[in-house]
This record gives sequence, C-alpha cells and structure tokens, in this order.
Amino acid sequence: MTTETSTRSANGEVTYTPQDGRLLEVEDLHVEFHTPDGIARAINGVSFDLHEGESLAILGESGSGKSVTAQAIMGILDMPPAVIPHGYIRYCGHDLLTMPEEQRRKTRGPEVSMIFQDALSSLNPVFPVGWQIAEMFRIHRGMNKSDALEQAVRLMERVQIPAARDRVKAYPHQFSGGMRQRIMIAMAIALDPAVLIADEPTTALDVTVQAQIMSLLQELQQERQMGLILITHDLGVVADVADRIVVMYAGRLVEKADVHDLYRNPAHPYTRGLLESIPRLDQKGQTLAAIGGLPPNLMRIPPGCAFNPRCRMAQDVCRTELPPLREVAPGRLSACHFAEEVIDA
Amino acid sequence: MTEQSIVEAPPTVDPHDAGEVGEERSLASDAWRAMRRNPLFWVSAVMIAVFVVMAAFPGLFTRTDPTVPVLAEARSRPGDGTWFGRDIQGYDIYARCIYGARASILVGLFTSIGTVLLGGTVGVIAGYVGGWVDSLLSRIGDVFFAIPLLLGAIIFLVSLPDFFNNNYLLIVLKVVLALVVLGWPSLARLMRSSVIQVKPNDYVQAARALGASPGRIIRSHVLPNALAPMIVVATINLGAYIAAEATLSFLGIGLQYPAISWGIDISSAIVGLRTTPHMLFFPGMFLSLAVLAFIMLGDAVRDALDPKSR
Amino acid sequence: MPEVVLSAHDLVKHYPIKKGVLRRTVGHVKAVDGVSFDLHKGETLGIVGESGCGKSTLGRLLMRLEEPTAGSVVFEGQDWSGASARDTRRLRRDIQIVFQDPYTSLNPRMTVGDIIGEPFEIHPDVVPRAGRRKRVQELLDLVGLNPEHINRYPHQFSGGQRQRIGIARGIALNPKVLVCDEPVSALDVSVQAQVVNLMEQLQDELGLAYVFIAHDLSVVRHISDRVGVMYLGKLAEIGEEDEVYARPTHPYTQALLSAVPVPDPTLRGKREQIVLVGDVPSPANPPSGCRFHTRCWKAQDVCSTDEPELVQRPDGRGSHLSACHFAEVRRVVETTDVSGENPDDRFASPDVSELSDAGAGLGPAGGGESLGSAQAGSTARRAEATNPAPEGADPARLATDDHQDPTR
Repeated sequence: MTTETSTRSANGEVTYTPQDGRLLEVEDLHVEFHTPDGIARAINGVSFDLHEGESLAILGESGSGKSVTAQAIMGILDMPPAVIPHGYIRYCGHDLLTMPEEQRRKTRGPEVSMIFQDALSSLNPVFPVGWQIAEMFRIHRGMNKSDALEQAVRLMERVQIPAARDRVKAYPHQFSGGMRQRIMIAMAIALDPAVLIADEPTTALDVTVQAQIMSLLQELQQERQMGLILITHDLGVVADVADRIVVMYAGRLVEKADVHDLYRNPAHPYTRGLLESIPRLDQKGQTLAAIGGLPPNLMRIPPGCAFNPRCRMAQDVCRTELPPLREVAPGRLSACHFAEEVIDA
Repeated sequence: MTEQSIVEAPPTVDPHDAGEVGEERSLASDAWRAMRRNPLFWVSAVMIAVFVVMAAFPGLFTRTDPTVPVLAEARSRPGDGTWFGRDIQGYDIYARCIYGARASILVGLFTSIGTVLLGGTVGVIAGYVGGWVDSLLSRIGDVFFAIPLLLGAIIFLVSLPDFFNNNYLLIVLKVVLALVVLGWPSLARLMRSSVIQVKPNDYVQAARALGASPGRIIRSHVLPNALAPMIVVATINLGAYIAAEATLSFLGIGLQYPAISWGIDISSAIVGLRTTPHMLFFPGMFLSLAVLAFIMLGDAVRDALDPKSR
Repeated sequence: MPEVVLSAHDLVKHYPIKKGVLRRTVGHVKAVDGVSFDLHKGETLGIVGESGCGKSTLGRLLMRLEEPTAGSVVFEGQDWSGASARDTRRLRRDIQIVFQDPYTSLNPRMTVGDIIGEPFEIHPDVVPRAGRRKRVQELLDLVGLNPEHINRYPHQFSGGQRQRIGIARGIALNPKVLVCDEPVSALDVSVQAQVVNLMEQLQDELGLAYVFIAHDLSVVRHISDRVGVMYLGKLAEIGEEDEVYARPTHPYTQALLSAVPVPDPTLRGKREQIVLVGDVPSPANPPSGCRFHTRCWKAQDVCSTDEPELVQRPDGRGSHLSACHFAEVRRVVETTDVSGENPDDRFASPDVSELSDAGAGLGPAGGGESLGSAQAGSTARRAEATNPAPEGADPARLATDDHQDPTR
C-alpha cells in the first residue's frame, strides 16, 4: 500500500496514477459526530474500493452513513463535530486523510469531485453559471478569463444545455431543476476528475428529468472512464446504473455484491427485506411486505448485528456478536451470521 | 428460525433506557433543560433576581433614607462614613443606587409588557389576516418606527398634561407610555413575520381542514409556535428600555423629583465629573449591570429556544 | 360500481401574479385548469404527475383549503363550494387530509393526545368529553402506535410514526374520504411499505375512499384502483389502474412510465425509454392547444391549435379517458401479475398487525422492532432514548434535532 505511485513533476505538482486500475480504497473507515448529547457513530468500519471506469453504488436509507462516507472521501466533513478516529482513504495509493491540507485541496476537482442532491443551494446565486464553471479553470488551470469562459460554454454544451452560449451569463435561479443539476455536473467534470461522487443526484428531480440526468451521467462516465460512486436510496436507479453495490446499514457495510447477484439473491436479510418492500411499477396485485421498526439511533446502535431488532431471522448470536463482512459466495460479501441461508432462500 | 426464538430472546435493553419510560418532554422543557446548562443564564438570573429584590424591598439593602441629605458631608468620598460616598446635595449614593432600581425595573418591565401586548397583537392580526389589514397596520407601524426615540419621547413627554406629575406611579407610567408608543412597531414587525412563517405549516392547514375557528387556530397553533422570537427580543429590550429611561431622566424629561432614578443621579453627577467621579461611577455601574443582565438573559433564552444560532 | 362519494366538476384554480407598486394583476398561474372526476365509495383514486402539475393544489381544492376559481366539489350530491359555513363544518367531518411532510404537519407544541383529540374539540358532538381520551388511545392503537404514548410530543417520534399520527388525526372523525397528499414520499424506503400497508388496512376496515396524490408511479400503482395522470393543471389520462399502466394511450403517460427505473438489473438497456425533450412549461403561460405538444414526439399542427378533450378513446382492449388527438396504445411497462404470490415472510411481512408495534416504543431511540406482543414491553423500554432520530436527518444534525427550532 505504501508504494509510491505518484511522481512529482518539475513544478512540484503531484500526478496520481492508479495501481492495477484501483482509484480509491476506503479501509476500515470510522466517522463519529461528537455532539452535546453524545457520540453519534455514523460510520463504523467501512471498506471498499473503486476501479477505473466502474460504477459503484452505495445504497442505504437515511442515517445509514452513505452521505457521510462521501463527505469523508471528499474531505468536506465539518470537523468538529465530525471526528475520524480510524481508517484510511487512499486515492491512487495516497492516504487522503494524512495528506497535508494544501495538497488535498488540490485533489478536489481535478482528481475527485462531487455532485450534490440540491443543485440550487450548491450553486452561488449571485454569480452567473458560466462564471462559476469558468472559475474552476481559472483557479486550477490558471486560464485567462475569456479562455475559461469559452471552456465553460463547451462544457455546458457537453451536458446538453440548450443554447449554452446564450445562457452562459444567466443566473442559477433562471434554470430549471434539471438544468441546474446539469450545470452542477458540468462543474464537477470540468477538471476531468478520475472519481466522481454523485450524492443522491436525482432525488430532488422529477422522474422524466431523473432519467435524462442518469443517462447523461452514464454517458460521461463511459466517455471519460471515470470511477463513479452513486449514493442513493433508490433501488430502481441502482439497478439501471451500478456495476457493483455496497449496502449500508447503521454505518456498516452489510452486503457487497455485483448488481445482478444482489438483485437475484441478496445475501443479507436487510437487502432482502428492502427488495420485498418496494412497490414495483411492472407488477400488478403485488403484496407489499415491510421491514418492521426503524433504523437505529446512531448514538445507541444495538449490540451484535445492528439490524437484529428488525430482523425476522435474528437468533441469540445476532444480539451479541457482530457478524463480520465475509465472503459467502465468490465475489459476494455479507455481514450476516446466516448469510448462507439467506442467499439460498 | 422460528417466531418462538424471537419472542424468548432476552431483550437487549440498555439499563439506562428504562428510567426514561413515559417521560414526556415538550419543546419548552427541552428549552428549559438547555437553559439550565448555560452559565450565562445563571449569572444573569442571579443579577436580575438581586435587582428585582432591590426594587421591591430596598429596605433590605440599606436603612438610610435616600431623600434625606446630609449637606455637611456633601461630596464625601466612598468609605468616609458611607459605602459609596455622598453626592453634591449630601444624599447617600449607595442608598440612591438601591432605591433607583425600582424606577428602572418598573419602567423596563411595564414597557416590555406594553410593547409585547400592543406590538404582539398588531403583529398577529397583520400576519394572520394579511391583505389590506396587514398593509394598513404595517404602514401605521412604520410611521411610529420612523420617529427617532429621543425626539419622539421629548415631544410626547413634554406635551403630556401635568396630571402625570402627581405621584411616583404616574411619573413612571408617563415614561412607560412614551416608550411603548415608540417601541411597539419593532415587536409588531417581528411577530408579524413569525406568524407569516408559522401560518403555512401543514399543522395549521390541518386545523383549518378540521374546521377549526380562526380564534382556535391562532390560540393553539399559531401563537405558541410564533412566540419564541418575541420572548427573546422582549427580554433584550427590557434592558434597552432601562437604558432609555435613564437617558430620558438624564435629559430631565423622564422621571423627575421626587422619583429616584439612576439617570437623574448620573445627570446631577456630571458637574463633578473631574473632582468627584464616584458620584457618576456608582449609578452608572448599576445601570450598566442591569442592562447587561437583561441582555445576557435574552441571549441565554435565545440559545435555549433556537440552538442553531449558537 | 359503488356509489360516487366525491366528485370534482371542472375545478379551476388560478393564482393571480401581481407586479409593481400597485400590485396589479399581470397574469395568472393556472395551477388547476378544468379537472373533473368521480371518486367512488371505498376506492382509491391515484393522482400522479410531476412537480408543478397542480396535483397538490387539486388536493387542497378538494379539501376546500383553497376556494376554486371556478367549478365545484360535490360530496354525496351536495355542492360543497357553495355550502354555508355550518354545512362546511359538517362536511369537514367527512373529508379529511393527510399531509406530505410529517415534520411540519404536527404542531410541535401539542402532545400526541391533543393533536389526535383536536378533531373532537372542534366537533364536540362526535365523542362525549369523557370518552375522548379512550377514543384517542383506540386511534393510536389502530395506526399501530403505543396508546401509552398519548402524552408524548411529536419530536419524540420518527418520520414514519409521525405520519401514523397524521393518519390517526385524519381518520378521527370517521371521514368517508381521505385526501392523501404525498403521504409516503418523505419516508424511507423500508418505512414507506409500513405506512402504505397501514393505509390499505384502514381502507378495508373503515371503508374509506382515498384520493392518493403522489409523484411515485410505483406506489400509486400499488395502492390505487383508478389513476389520473396530470400535466400542467389538466388530466391527461384517467382510468383503471390496469388501463393506465398496462395500456396507456396518452404520450405523456407513456413517457412518464418509461422513465421510472425498475429495480431489476436484467432489464437494463432492454426497457424502452422515451426521453422527453425540454422542461415542463410554466403554468403561468401554458402552451396553446394540447399542453403537452411542446414536448410530444407525436405533435402535429392540430395539437397546437385544438385542445384535445378528455374522452373515451380505445386502448386496445376497451377504452378509457384520454386527452390526446392521436391516442394510441403503447405498452411501455411489461406487467406481470403477481397477485397471489406472497413475499418471503422470513425477511419482511405484509401483515400490518404484526408490524403494528412498529412504532410502539421506538419513538426516540429507534432501533427496535417487536415482533410479538410479548416483547412489546421491552421494545418500549428500549425505545426511550434521548433523541428522535428522524429519517432524513443527517447524523451531524442529531443533536440539534433534539431541540427543534421553535421559531419554525
């Protein structure tokens, strides 16, 4: 892990090269929030990696820690209250967590970038959108004003904003939700990042617009061979986009699998329950089953398996022993004591 | 895997949890809980308690009559027989500081209550009814808001009939009236905007959908949720009104003899600013502490009611 | 077909756009522009559409939270729009509403008992004073909450539990119609199913008719008997659930259905996707003729001049109401009939009663689910933690959620 995979070019800039196609490795990541009422353990040992050109979906409900994971990778967690007591986030072999802030800042944009759920509040309302995209080039690439603006226009065209040249001087509120999300995407890919994190990119959008945005994201990813981390709670979107899926519950990975395997036969009762509990557009007369209860309070995650109070399979061992994330079938990991029974079901 | 095993499983109960069964915590009790943890609250509360006791029972603090001058000892320094010395007319400064609290607390309290009642009512009506009623009330408020406090108070106080100078309470009332007339619009604005914020909430709509009368909606849904900002500002204003009272008294148009006020004392101490600064210092200190106490309390209340502003 | 309980006749709601110092009206936002339908006893009518299509305004018009600009709402033969204040009050008993956001729909300063009991305070003749507390507890039990939590405050419950409280308030007066405005869209996936199942169960037990307004086409299909699709203030298509989903004839419905992602990776790339160009036009200035013509791939000259009527148009097997000049069936979704198939009950349960303690004690603590009444007590105990951990809350915000901003 410590092999130096970067070279320092003449001007002191670090260049990053992936090892065996591996862009990002997250290892045993923990994140806690220290609040006046106690410690909320948002992430409790999460490990996964991301390869070039791969789409990895992080699936989970609110409070599962999926967004916090993204924020930790981007280094945009507010610390305090957040604390990372343990863990590594390596980008091309470099640990982002121990990297000097100055160096890390330079990775945001050209190496790793992110799009958010709420495009309106992520764009600055007082500057024209073209100016905001152009700023990326001016800051990171040192371009002059007119070149940067020209690049901005080209990017806006790339994300299919109609009449981009005329609208480059328009302000964020003059765009519809879908168009704003396109602008966010344009800003995120402006500097050709190797890793793009999309945190619920379409949750605030209507379904027809969601389809447009997801297909744009997929197109861009294939065109640029980016590693895409898609964070979502929507099992439908995941099925359409992801190559691999990690399922999070109460700050832990409960399952990690190829998308086809996961939908065909989930290896964790939580995943299984989720799949049973969503109504499907293509089914008629469906009996909807529900997982009882609620996700746990992160300040007092139950001992043993965090899912045990809601799990219909739970046995004594589930209440005392934390099931490790283990390989239960080739290429499939599950954190359940009875994963074999689940997978065969 | 059977149901049986689930039911028989030992419940994973944190012993700490058990004690909290049935606990009913309202937002108000949450706020109180938060406030209790705030040292600012305790400091200000103790200070205010002292001032209030001072105002109610000045005899507890001093046996000296503040209206009896000892001319022979006029301008004596602190420690020369009295704690704070004597002023230019030979009054005991300590006693006058103690007795001066009454005027300040009364003016501050009554003015706050007055502005809350008047401003709050106007604000609720303007915010809830909306339309032309809102426009009319808001413009009226703007007219009063536009009058500079000192100028307005001078004109108001000077133009009041002499009837108001008859006794202590009426003199205090006169100042209160002036401050209320000029001070209500800021609270009305505040109340109006918080009512407008609360009104579109679904719980208000739900009450409408149930057929609740406007009175009921205002009483049980709008008011309880719109009060917090006004409570905070009214507390802070209480301090500001005490300062305003002192200012008016200093100028000679607020409280007047026979009333005792820190403002009057500061005014009369000006003559000895260089030679006998203690005459100015003690009433000035009492005034500052009183104002500070209420502002600190207001901050503590705000922190408790709105933890996000911290 | 059972009798009609509620019908909308040509409902119109225009909001004036005012500009300038004199607040002159310079135009109108045509939020709802001529919507008619019947709701039958005990059925669920789903209303779907994208944001800005006017579906929420429609719900508020049905509830008379807004006065219609034109048209009328008729409840059991009585025109509600012209009703006297007294009749309106009485009618309110029969039509109730459940809101979308479980965080703003409950007064944070009232206890759950006061919230659910308020309908009885407003309509004192429904339940005598002495029996109210008991009735409130029955209602709590009915929606799967622990009746002992009658004195708790809303912020001590999670989103799903709050939505149950909202439902309990809605059904307190035994209404005949419940208007549900996006009742599950603010909830987490695993909690959504609980609430949907609860609503279905209540419908069976109480004979309620639902107007179920939502943007999630899958949820609407699941719960609805009939479905109306709205676009820019008008109904584009309305019919039986099967007619609209399996045999849609309006291009907008087809595009909408094709855009919904299906949780099945084997269908990836195989599903037909109709990608619509552009955005929804502004309802202040809707396109002439058919409102969808600016984005429709079938549009011809007639579409921009003549407004298509919502009439019976053939759908291959029969016919249903559709507002397109060129209505034509296009199967976008391959439907499989799974009625009779039950989900694997080792992982999730369709049985509401089994989950009814779902909320029970878990309020603040979350983290527990009792699967049998024997364990309910312990769950309740486990539940008493300090904080409500509302779904949707960022862990970072857990602490502040404890003291919700009272100024809101």
